[in-house]
Amino acid sequence: MVRLRKVALVFLKDWLEIRRNGEVLLPLLIVPLLFAVMLPIIAVLPTLAIPSWASSEGLLTLVKALPGQVREQIAGMTGQQAIVYIMALYLFAPVFLIIPIMASSVIASDSFAGEKERKTIEALLATPLSDGEMLLGKMLVSFAPAVIVTAAAFAVYSVVVDYLTFSMFGGRLLFPNTIWLSLIFGLSPSLAFADIGLTVIISARVKGVKEAQQISALLLIPLVAAVLGQASGAMALDPSLVTTTTMLLVAFDIIIFVASVKAFGRGRILARLS
Amino acid sequence: MPGIQADGLEKKFGSMTAVDRLSFEVEEGEVFGLLGPNGAGKTTTVRILACLISPTRGSAKVCGFMVTEQPSLVRERVGVLTENPCLYERLTAYENMEFFAEAYGISIKAERNERIRELLDFFELWDRRADKVAALSKGMKQKLAIARALVHKPPVLLLDEPTAGLDPESAKEVRDMVTQLSRREKRAILLSTHRLEDAEKLCNHVMIIDRGRSVATGTPESLRKKLGKTPVLEVTLQPGSVTLVQDAIRRVESVRAVTADGPRLLITLDDPDSATPKVVGAIVRAGGQVLSVNLPKPSLEETYLKLIRRAS
Repeated sequence: MVRLRKVALVFLKDWLEIRRNGEVLLPLLIVPLLFAVMLPIIAVLPTLAIPSWASSEGLLTLVKALPGQVREQIAGMTGQQAIVYIMALYLFAPVFLIIPIMASSVIASDSFAGEKERKTIEALLATPLSDGEMLLGKMLVSFAPAVIVTAAAFAVYSVVVDYLTFSMFGGRLLFPNTIWLSLIFGLSPSLAFADIGLTVIISARVKGVKEAQQISALLLIPLVAAVLGQASGAMALDPSLVTTTTMLLVAFDIIIFVASVKAFGRGRILARLS
Repeated sequence: MPGIQADGLEKKFGSMTAVDRLSFEVEEGEVFGLLGPNGAGKTTTVRILACLISPTRGSAKVCGFMVTEQPSLVRERVGVLTENPCLYERLTAYENMEFFAEAYGISIKAERNERIRELLDFFELWDRRADKVAALSKGMKQKLAIARALVHKPPVLLLDEPTAGLDPESAKEVRDMVTQLSRREKRAILLSTHRLEDAEKLCNHVMIIDRGRSVATGTPESLRKKLGKTPVLEVTLQPGSVTLVQDAIRRVESVRAVTADGPRLLITLDDPDSATPKVVGAIVRAGGQVLSVNLPKPSLEETYLKLIRRAS
């Protein structure tokens, strides 16, 4: 039986440790902030500084490669509007998904592999807390900040994009929009959970935080593929694709959660330490 | 009911046998020492009893509960001092205590605070309660780890190398505390150590283990007697009386040999406790004037080294 009070105890202990660990806290704050502020600037400033770029051959090639659905959305827009719209709403969407993966990976590695590296795990495992209480507390402490940071970064991103493009689009707000909302509140949490599950399994097998982080970063590979797929026009991040991917990820989350419960057994962890 | 009962405990890691059929009991109020060199299987035995790993064979009970069948009931009744202090360095001394107090089931805040205050006061750490563990000295960390092991008032304590790495003063404080916990608070204590001084000063019973196997068990005194050298009584006499008394000494029962070394006589005995007063009486009756009597006892170290070398 899992006692929620004990889950909260593990959560709060780990959260206190994370708050005091600069190596975890800094990337958790700086990377999302950079993404939220720098990506809109990258999307808008070049078109303002070099207006000719908006009517260049490069842009035409990019637009031609886009799926018909996106081409429909930008139909009737000026070249400048089109490029800003494509970059801010379309191309940067999968890039933004790096945030939940990065955040969950950094915290989960510190919480699971970090306990082993700092040799604190034995005293924790000697307590009457159940495996489920420890696992759930630690998974939640990795999950909650990852989701919150992603949502906060999205809020900042939306404000910055809307501020920079408000006059360019004649007072029309680009954010919030449906795809991004489903991306941030549907796909991101399921992606973060998958990464945490993966990190738990990896952490049970490795001895250090860095190893755990490096291996769990493997989840970035499908993300890079998504970015390239978007840029080449091979795929379009439309609502149906986001929903399907989210559902597939939720199924994967269930499988990986079961696997992580098995990996997080006292005997297994200590047998590897012995 | 004994605090700890181990019966034929065995633990294998692959083809390596870390613990090889160990059986022992630790009664309430007793300090039982597991003594052995590094890699002897002491820490593995402690981990089995703390329900951290399962034995490959054999069984163990803590306060009557099986470690393999009722691990959570065992964990609630055991305080463990692990090989490393295992403290959260970014948390303060107080925060560490608070986390473990609640993890061990002290859910009422006032009760928790009172217990933490009591322990930190006892270990003279109350003034350092707001300091992060990273800022504490090694001795303070070790004391804090012992305080953590005691936070839920466990009837059984498993102490793995409690004085390792401590300066002599801190080591003495820890030894005094262990003595107090066993004598006054009647806790059953299993002490794993490779420090003979700890075993000699603290333990009622000692099991010497090597490569997972028990090579001798008994009280420190019985092990010394059983495996130490034959006792030799040293008697220093007033010059001139040495030759007078030698025949009288040889007539005392259990005296095996007498040799003179200047004014000193070296008397080999079978049973020094009962023979020493008889020898001294015989010397006095024979007209000898005794200046000093000394019976050097073989140390546990001598016994330990002999056993470990024999086992190797």
